[in-house]
Amino acid sequence: MSRIFMRDLFCIFAILVCLLPRLAGAQATLLRIVISNTDTPQLWEGAIADFEKQNLGVKVIKEIAPNSSTQFHDLLTQKLKNRDTRLDVFFMDVIWPSEFASAGWTLPLDRFFSTTEQGKFLEAPIAANRYRGEIFGVPLFIDAGLLYYRKDLLEKYRMAPPRHWPELVEQAKAILATERDPHLIGYSGQFKQYEGLVCNMMEFILGNGGALWDEQRLVSAVQQERAKQAVRFVRDHIIGEISSRGVLAYEEPESVALFAQGRAIFHRNWPYAWRVANDPEQSRVVGKVGMMPLPAFPGGKGASTLGGWQIGISRFSKIPEVAWRFVAFMTSHQMQKRIAFATGRAPTRKALYDDPELLAKIPWLESLLDTFKQAVPRPTTPVYVPLSNIMQRYFSAALVLPDSKIDQRAALAARDMDRVLDLLRETAAR
Amino acid sequence: MKSSHRLAFLFIVPSLVFVCVFTLYPIVESFRLSFYRMILTLPWLGQKMVGGENYVDLWTDPVAWQALQTTIIFVAVTVPSELLLGLGMALVMNEAFRGRGVLRAVVLIPWAIPTVVSSQMWRFIFNDRYGLFNFVLFGGDTARYFAPLANPRWAMIAIMAAEIWKTAPFAALIILAGLQTISDEVYEAASIDGASAWQKFRHITLPLLWPALLLALLFRTIDALRVFDLVFVMTQGGPADATNVLQFYGYKKTFAEGMIGYGSTIAVTVFMISLVLALAYLRALKSERLQGAAAR
Repeated sequence: MSRIFMRDLFCIFAILVCLLPRLAGAQATLLRIVISNTDTPQLWEGAIADFEKQNLGVKVIKEIAPNSSTQFHDLLTQKLKNRDTRLDVFFMDVIWPSEFASAGWTLPLDRFFSTTEQGKFLEAPIAANRYRGEIFGVPLFIDAGLLYYRKDLLEKYRMAPPRHWPELVEQAKAILATERDPHLIGYSGQFKQYEGLVCNMMEFILGNGGALWDEQRLVSAVQQERAKQAVRFVRDHIIGEISSRGVLAYEEPESVALFAQGRAIFHRNWPYAWRVANDPEQSRVVGKVGMMPLPAFPGGKGASTLGGWQIGISRFSKIPEVAWRFVAFMTSHQMQKRIAFATGRAPTRKALYDDPELLAKIPWLESLLDTFKQAVPRPTTPVYVPLSNIMQRYFSAALVLPDSKIDQRAALAARDMDRVLDLLRETAAR
Repeated sequence: MKSSHRLAFLFIVPSLVFVCVFTLYPIVESFRLSFYRMILTLPWLGQKMVGGENYVDLWTDPVAWQALQTTIIFVAVTVPSELLLGLGMALVMNEAFRGRGVLRAVVLIPWAIPTVVSSQMWRFIFNDRYGLFNFVLFGGDTARYFAPLANPRWAMIAIMAAEIWKTAPFAALIILAGLQTISDEVYEAASIDGASAWQKFRHITLPLLWPALLLALLFRTIDALRVFDLVFVMTQGGPADATNVLQFYGYKKTFAEGMIGYGSTIAVTVFMISLVLALAYLRALKSERLQGAAAR
């Protein structure tokens, strides 16, 4: 009895499998995309539906990547390495275009994306998408590290927003000492061992006049005194004094959640955190939040890491024209405006920074334009990932282990980085 | 006779092909790649034969040594714990009582849940603000909550706890199968001779269970040596590389950094370690069987 039933079931299943592709839209062109995970899925779904309406016969199949940029990267590179033709369009973190272009995984877009059109975008993200004279992605939105602070708390203690890092630490210590709230910490940032750690630490190091590596001479700079000073400061004063050790396991979502619950005085994050902190559904500090460019060290110049996401097309896509239509649609003036409204992500088209409708809704946008223009990209190189992994290892060890010997660890990291950078020199020699 | 041999061979062919394509070929290819320098993001450097350079690099790579140490600690703690727990679970499940069938099914649940899912669950458990772990330790005193995954020692404990929770049922299953091969008559005879429960366990159960235990040990050791998914989901190797096990390091090198040659070298090394251990265990298992046969 049951065996016969199983057989019938199998037959029905087999027939269904054969029929399914035919039933589901006979000649639909399938456009396969990988997009990042956001807290506003309705936005992407709406955008995709609109694109399909404008492009009849195209069906978009979306895959949502993990939240962590590092894991997103691993997912994409596995598909691209295998020359998977079932991948057409994907989002790219700002550090990937040169790596992907060098590996031959992304399509040069020059024939679609003219220099006049490129001129309508902010320069920094365009530069991040260029590799050896060609362009490999279209910037979708731009990010830069910003400092958020509890306006109400600073006002209560008659403090002005901090001018430099040591002042921030002093202010946080003073507030913590008086508030005596065991749930309150002074600073939340992203210090887990992942890409965000490099962004956070780069801001401290550059703000102290240091660098990650010398792009001209292709040698590491993390072992230099100014870089080490900054790392030591974060270990001894940020983590050790005003933060909880929990931040050593935080990526963006955890750290912003803490701030939005009113449990951190200062918070470093990308522009989207503004919307989170002012969303009554997620936040207890609506209207109590200030935002400013990141401070520097005394005598230094504040630096924000350039972040943001681009859209690129796989070189192995069988339908590059359709793929480009999608990229153009997603990065259009109209769409970027919609993204800014829905997510608080900052647009990459210059014209939007003069758009009265947008500025009415997001008044801080205008004041951030300078920060975006000055945001510092992480050095572009095809070997960025190995370099970043070495730095993540070094920074994490330096911050997590309380007695970490920073001099030794920095020297070790520098040696490893130089070995990777040597590969590029070998390329140049040929 | 000959035609039956041929027939037997024909029957073997499909699985032989399967093994060659999906097991033998990747192993051989990994061996080959481990002697090359091949970097995906620098395709113009090509595939360069570098002899044993990757192995020399690995030998002098402090991160790899630390990863090996982490992996060994992981195996040395999780495998014995799993076997002990598994033994206890199997002994309980072997007794006749009401609801035994249900219990047997329930015990297997952790093993049936995909590791990625259960790792995600453990990550939540060890969260510093809403994690069950903190709640159990400190209750409502949220000010004392801490982040285990931000602390090198605790992060290691966390992934080991997740591993033990997940795979002890597997050990229990193998051991239970071993228990069921021991005939009741032996125990009855022992009871008549006036043996205590401990004596029965020590002199009947344990010796007769030895092959099953060795088998569980073999499976678990090799599996624990190549732990990857737990680390991938829960810690990504951090903090400060505290949970950077060898397989995860190899994965990072191969898939994130595109260092195919060096990544293959790590994979081959893990393979060799597993192979040596497996051979040692198999040898022990074999001599155990021979002794058992001789004693009979």
